[in-house]
Amino acid sequence: MKLELRDIKKSFEDKEILHGISFSVESGKALGLLGRNGAGKTTTIRIIMDVFHANAGEILLDGTKFVPDGSQVGYLPEERGLYPKKIVKEQMIYLAMLRGMNKKQAAESTMKWLEKLEVLEYADRKLETLSKGNQQKVQLAATLVGEPSIVILDEPFSGLDPVNSQILKNVIRELISEGRIVIFSSHQMSYVEEFCEDIVIINHGENILSGHLDDIKMEYGKGRKILAAENYSLDELKKVCETKLSDYVEVLGVNKYDVILSVKEGVDQWKLLDAIKSCDIGIKHFGAYEPSLNDIFVSCVGEEEVVKVVEEEEPENKSKKRGLFGKAGK
Amino acid sequence: MKQFKTILKFELDNYFKSKSYIISTIIICILAAGIMFAPRIKDAFKSGSSSSSSSNEENIEDLTKYAIYDATGIAEEESLKDMFADIHFVFCDSADQVKEMVKSEEAKKGFIVNSLTSFDYVVFNNSMMDQTGYDFKEYMALLNKMDYCRENNLNIDEFLAMEYQEIEMNEEILGKDSASNYWYCYALVIIIFMLIVMYGMTIASSVTNEKSNRSIEILVTSTSSTAILFGKVIAGAIATIFQVGLIGGSLIGSYQFNKAYWSSTFQAIFDIPSNVLVTFAIFGIGGFLVYAFMYGALGALVSKIEDLNKTAGTAQMIVTLVYVVSLINLMNVDGVIIKVLSFLPISSYSAMFARVAMGNVAVWEVIVSAVILYATVILVGIIGGKIFRNSTLRYGNPIKLSNALKGMKKEK
Repeated sequence: MKLELRDIKKSFEDKEILHGISFSVESGKALGLLGRNGAGKTTTIRIIMDVFHANAGEILLDGTKFVPDGSQVGYLPEERGLYPKKIVKEQMIYLAMLRGMNKKQAAESTMKWLEKLEVLEYADRKLETLSKGNQQKVQLAATLVGEPSIVILDEPFSGLDPVNSQILKNVIRELISEGRIVIFSSHQMSYVEEFCEDIVIINHGENILSGHLDDIKMEYGKGRKILAAENYSLDELKKVCETKLSDYVEVLGVNKYDVILSVKEGVDQWKLLDAIKSCDIGIKHFGAYEPSLNDIFVSCVGEEEVVKVVEEEEPENKSKKRGLFGKAGK
Repeated sequence: MKQFKTILKFELDNYFKSKSYIISTIIICILAAGIMFAPRIKDAFKSGSSSSSSSNEENIEDLTKYAIYDATGIAEEESLKDMFADIHFVFCDSADQVKEMVKSEEAKKGFIVNSLTSFDYVVFNNSMMDQTGYDFKEYMALLNKMDYCRENNLNIDEFLAMEYQEIEMNEEILGKDSASNYWYCYALVIIIFMLIVMYGMTIASSVTNEKSNRSIEILVTSTSSTAILFGKVIAGAIATIFQVGLIGGSLIGSYQFNKAYWSSTFQAIFDIPSNVLVTFAIFGIGGFLVYAFMYGALGALVSKIEDLNKTAGTAQMIVTLVYVVSLINLMNVDGVIIKVLSFLPISSYSAMFARVAMGNVAVWEVIVSAVILYATVILVGIIGGKIFRNSTLRYGNPIKLSNALKGMKKEK
């Protein structure tokens, strides 16, 4: 099963909010849908759910037009919403029935998901009497109660303690292994890195980066090195690199342990290593730079003046990329 | 359709399991029955107290006191007692004493007789329905007649018999009796107005609450917004009919049981012809649905319950205007205004059954009006569903109806 969004555009009151969002996601994989607040993630999700109609573009499921019937998609919204004064079990059965199940199936599915999320003991309680974490788990159970083949999770870990987070992680892994399509939207990058093979970063209504996470990391690490010295602090080392190694590298920044360098055109790593030695730097670390998703995200959407580079990755998936720390990734 | 049934059942459960719905229904039913039982209960107490007083001398202190100063000396205690049976008249020595007694509330009312043809009526706070002055005027007129008969050697009884000669009148109504139909029409117009406003706001609040607690986010992604709105509105209509049926049943049942104690007071209201009841049901339900869909859609325009009055005001204004115009024109049901109102879907719910009850209306007119009304119900339902869909996920400041309609057009 493959869900594709092609050049989706959406306007509200003559203002275009989405300027052509495109990405695809396949069964058994999770896609990280990332972006700053107000970037257009929720609008994109609502268009997938057919709550909003796109002004242009199309959504395809296995090549044919996708029209969700309510049972296909399970959506966990960022703003949680269930009936606080209703019994947990009653409202879950109601939602399951709305998504096409009969009463018996709905009741069975309700019990199954409440048990899986370890909140079965609260089935007969009013939602408002539960703790925030348990309400969150009930909300996730309500998302999955219709046994959807496409699951969209918007900040699913919000409000969960480490134990509950682990329960939820197991459930998400199970969903992926069962061959469901999972779209995962979060600002907690560590979770996205943990579950998602592919990511899409949306900014100001356009997708500025999309593709396989490993490829993106490799691309963003290309031509970049990390360096740490035994005889210099990071700030001192940065200054040394900027003054004595400027013919070989450009200093991109400093993280917790290393100085991050961009190797200049025509400089190979052996030449660079010789230059480092000649500067009397006692090498502690020297190696390829592997950016975290957080670094990639910040570099993509954190600076408005970032140079945009368009790169063809796959013939059917035109992805746009931005360079790390203001430079092209290639 | 299946989803509509699921929503309808869920919403009906919400009503029928709601403590406020159950308690208010029970209390109003008991109150309605209590009112109908009131004369029976009063009568029971009265007969009990009258039997005890009959054995005793009438206690003058228990009677209402009126003060009177008669400068002419024509008012007699005996004739006053005949005219005002439950009143004890205190004869005063001056006009000032009458005023003083009324002011100090020793006497409830006072009279200063200036001459055979003039008197002053003294009262502390005058009520709208006070007839005492006119009753005393009648009394003075009687004194005048007695005086005239005395002067002209006439027999007062014969004189009065002649004056109040009973003339028999047989009324044969070939069409409709507006005089007796007026009151139940009046009552039904008020009832339907109250139901629309009360339950319309309940439906609007239910939508706004779901928007406020964000459960709407889950609902609109699980089913169609039209199914949600239709489910809510139809459930509201069923709950209303059920509650009104129980209250009406309690009222009519207890009236029938106590009919003898009510003389003919309520007969005109409760004696409603079946064709009028059927018309009321058809047009009342249709009108209710038109407004309920309106209220439901308007409820989706706001995110907070405290903002609801800002948008629901539009529907409130229309329904109130229709109510006032209908009531004013109830005296002239064959006039142009009520004829026009009887075909407009926003007003036919009250105007058409008033015409059926009191005016001249052809069957085709009733059918055409009903078709217009129910076509409007479907149209308003569909438009309401689209406004609902367009507005439910837009949070923040209240959305203007005009913007919601524009958004709806663009969604097409």
